[in-house]
Amino acid sequence: MKTLKICILRIEGTNCELETSLAFKRLGASAEIVHLKQLIGAVKEQERRNLMDYDVLVIPGGFSSGDYVRAGAILAARIKGTLGEEIADFIDTGKPVLGICNGFQVLVEMGLLPGFVPDEKPGMQQVALTTNDSARFECRPTLIKHECKGKCMFTRGIEKGSILKMPCAHAEGKFFIAERKREEYIQWLEENDQIVFRYVDPEGNYAPYPWNPNGSIYNIAGICNPEGNILGLMPHPERAFYAFLDSEWSRMARGRRKEKGEEKEDIYGGGEKIFESALKSILKKGL
Amino acid sequence: MKTGRESSFGNRSGKRVEVGIRDAHDEDLKRISDGMGLALNLEEMKRIKRYFVAKKREPTDVELQSIAQAWSEHCCYKSSKKILQEFIFGIEAPQSILVIKEDAGVLEFDKEHAYVVAFESHNHPSAIEPYGGAATGIGGIVRDVVCMGAQPIALIDPLFFGHLDYGYEKLPEEVKHPRFLFEGVVSGISDYGNRIGIPTCAGMVYFDDGYVGNCVVNVGCVGVMKKAHLRRSMAKQDEVLVLVGGKTGRDGIHGVTFASVELTGEEEFRSAVQLGDPITKEPLMHAILEANERGLISGMKDLGGGGLSCAVSEMCHAGGCGADIYLERVKLKEKGLSAWEIWVSESQERFLIAGSRKKVDELLAIFEKWDVDAVIIGQTQTFKKSLIRIFFEGELVFELDTDFLVACPVYERPKEIKIKEKGEVLVEEPKDYNEVLKMLLAAPNIASRECVIRQYDHEVRASTVLKPMQGIIGKETHGDAAVIKPLEESYKGLAITSDVNPSFCKLNPFWGAASAVDEVCRNLTAVGAVPHSFADCLNFGNPEKPDRMGEFYECCRGLGYMASSLGVPFVSGNVSFYNESAVMNESIPPTPTILGIGLCEDVRECITVDIKEAGDFLYVIGETKEELGGSEYYKLRDVEGGFVPRTDPAVLIRSMKALRDAMDLRLIASCHDVSEGGLAVAVCEMLLGGDIGASIDIRGMNPELRSDYKLFSESNSRWVVEVWKEEKRRFEDILKRREVYATKLGETVGEKRVCIYNRNKELVDLALEEVRGAWLSGLE
Repeated sequence: MKTLKICILRIEGTNCELETSLAFKRLGASAEIVHLKQLIGAVKEQERRNLMDYDVLVIPGGFSSGDYVRAGAILAARIKGTLGEEIADFIDTGKPVLGICNGFQVLVEMGLLPGFVPDEKPGMQQVALTTNDSARFECRPTLIKHECKGKCMFTRGIEKGSILKMPCAHAEGKFFIAERKREEYIQWLEENDQIVFRYVDPEGNYAPYPWNPNGSIYNIAGICNPEGNILGLMPHPERAFYAFLDSEWSRMARGRRKEKGEEKEDIYGGGEKIFESALKSILKKGL
Repeated sequence: MKTGRESSFGNRSGKRVEVGIRDAHDEDLKRISDGMGLALNLEEMKRIKRYFVAKKREPTDVELQSIAQAWSEHCCYKSSKKILQEFIFGIEAPQSILVIKEDAGVLEFDKEHAYVVAFESHNHPSAIEPYGGAATGIGGIVRDVVCMGAQPIALIDPLFFGHLDYGYEKLPEEVKHPRFLFEGVVSGISDYGNRIGIPTCAGMVYFDDGYVGNCVVNVGCVGVMKKAHLRRSMAKQDEVLVLVGGKTGRDGIHGVTFASVELTGEEEFRSAVQLGDPITKEPLMHAILEANERGLISGMKDLGGGGLSCAVSEMCHAGGCGADIYLERVKLKEKGLSAWEIWVSESQERFLIAGSRKKVDELLAIFEKWDVDAVIIGQTQTFKKSLIRIFFEGELVFELDTDFLVACPVYERPKEIKIKEKGEVLVEEPKDYNEVLKMLLAAPNIASRECVIRQYDHEVRASTVLKPMQGIIGKETHGDAAVIKPLEESYKGLAITSDVNPSFCKLNPFWGAASAVDEVCRNLTAVGAVPHSFADCLNFGNPEKPDRMGEFYECCRGLGYMASSLGVPFVSGNVSFYNESAVMNESIPPTPTILGIGLCEDVRECITVDIKEAGDFLYVIGETKEELGGSEYYKLRDVEGGFVPRTDPAVLIRSMKALRDAMDLRLIASCHDVSEGGLAVAVCEMLLGGDIGASIDIRGMNPELRSDYKLFSESNSRWVVEVWKEEKRRFEDILKRREVYATKLGETVGEKRVCIYNRNKELVDLALEEVRGAWLSGLE
């Protein structure tokens, strides 16, 4: 089987690159942390990398360029300015792009997500990830319900309606659509099967704060583009890779042991499902 | 300090500015010290004068400033060294690799890896500029860990303020309101800590009006590394000195001398507060760790207090060599800095690296890749040991022996030991226990800190196994310690906690400090860890006042007593004196904050605070005594006096062993240490996290005690544990075998109520949601 090559993009202020690359590596992919400068030729010959040599591009979490101006804005502008064509080619060939937290903010700033509305210029920002309703940074576990019927490449292996638990940690994660476009856009997202994850409470209801940690419209936690090869989400799947990272691990551990005996294998958490499902469906597609 | 004041003392010829002190009288000497912001006393100035008289020349401004940095309380511990040596240093332990000697302690984690601990105060800057002060406090402590060659993996933030409802009418004009300081500090930590990608996973927030004039902001950092990557802060002969990181500016001038006097509330001290830049720090950290792993760094030191002045002289002194430095090579934030300003500036995000000439190009290339400035500012030399020379645009502006620079005076300050404890006092037994319990849960030092904790990213790096908030999602309660899994390939974990109870220390500094160690050990044991090392951040008032010195002495004695009995070493820390506000004419309560690190063999086995199931048994381990001095209950009842809790390390050790035995056999479902608010509060906190009720009876506890004392005493060495219902007998066997005192309290129940009885008398009967409401309302 082919080993997938994952490009984990970093610039100054990116800070989740290590754990994100580990998540892919643990599942057998080859993940490399690549600085933007390496992709645009601003380094010595032997350090240069070509985006098209990779199978997946990941923009991990963090505070790229300090998130000054607006979360994700500076990195988005830098990518557009220096790597715009390569990214467009990469996406056009159907290769997948994943943005987690700050990466989601970058994809939204670049206009790649939600990436519809043909009546506007491509590459225009259509929605925003804006300041949390609490006006604070929110680091807390969240429950997100998988809503996608099959459009999103990354979640095809995850049953629709299943609820995954993973932490969020951001100050600007409120999915926002201007009032005059709101209804229309939500309808677009629904009809195109672009809504991938929505925040819910433990009973699976679309509930307000703190279950919806930022006040996102329609409880949206993650969306994909109309083609399904770009996914952005605010919560951090890489922080929920193993079950023992779950905030309620100590509540489940004994029951698991009673039920299954001593498990020698690693037990995975909610976040692992996204990485696993992504790698499987990409391999299946035969990239 | 306003810059440029020195001109009235100096004779300028080109870049070299000389200050005439050889003929200066005592008054002039004092005037020079004040005018240049040296914060040196007359004796110290006279010593400098004698030195230069013997040298037959006048000192330059750069030399005087440099001496002032090196001799400041902050840098050389002149008031505390003797006492620290007597009590804190030198506790031998096999796990110590490099302790006390440098900015961070290094200890064995496993065969191949070490962990690093650093702990420091950033009080004065935070009192003047809370947001920037707290942020740069984190920057500084992270550098202390990185400069040992370690990857930072956790941040810890114990914070101390005046009460948030402190009356504005009582507040002197120069003093900032506790709420302003609290909010500024928390957002400073949140903005800086979150940006550099290190989880802030432990800490505390404590309120006492003694902190109104001078808040206390302590910051700790833990790192991990391969033992082979350990680097010392020393430069050897014939190496190049490379300054890397941020540019140098006028921010943070005189930070250390400013920290060595009482706070006057003057806004002009703002220039002594550095400005932080997390987005320079983050790549800087990567670049340094990469260069170190590739063997390009032979020694390094972060630029903290005293800036280049301290870094160069300490690295050279440690390596037994001298150096030539060319100041004009230092990259500046703005034009026009004079030589002394460049030399002592504490601008953030900078390191000094010593490396071999042959490898320096490779070193510089790494920094270029990361877009981080790196310049060779000089070299160490062989021709004359320990002589440092500084050139500025071709002129010699400094020529001093490191031996003289680091030979700071050491004082044995007069001390007066006062124990403010009074005997037990009479308080009427409350009629309505429900009300008392609810008020305690809402007390500022007990109530939920969720609104603070959630502002810190405590999960970045994806290795935080036990989080600061524990329990059912949406119902979480405070954990006793966080647990980090530092290595990809191992389940071994580091438990991290910090604690102190300043109210105890105020009444009895010896037992207050001992209690802090006791509590840290309790917290570590509660999650299933073995206490492994301590760091101390000792925050006190003006050491020139004998009663403050007495408090310091007694606290150190208490810390040393506990740590040496436990066989757990103090590995790093700092002393912060002069935490008093001149305008309010009062000192902070003695605050010896302890950071405790414990080892867990398997993070998957760690125990949390939240109750797991209905039908399990609840026990209190340890003896409850009439020890309510400084307790939250007495504060609530507005009573002064009483004895603060004592502790017996032998009992503590036995109890910790018993608990770990029970945990190893998986008999324990949840565990919580008993501290502020006593037993009743501890039980409630556990129930809140599990969203489960309990029915308990306290009749089995110390029969001499009244019910309110049983419920609210804060006696040390106690835990509440939930024992799985099937494991009662095995648990009790362990207690018997280990000779540990424990009392069975009752059971957890399905109904979400808290019921507490003393025999047939019902004391408390509250719905769990009412308990939660009170606890959540406290900090609003």
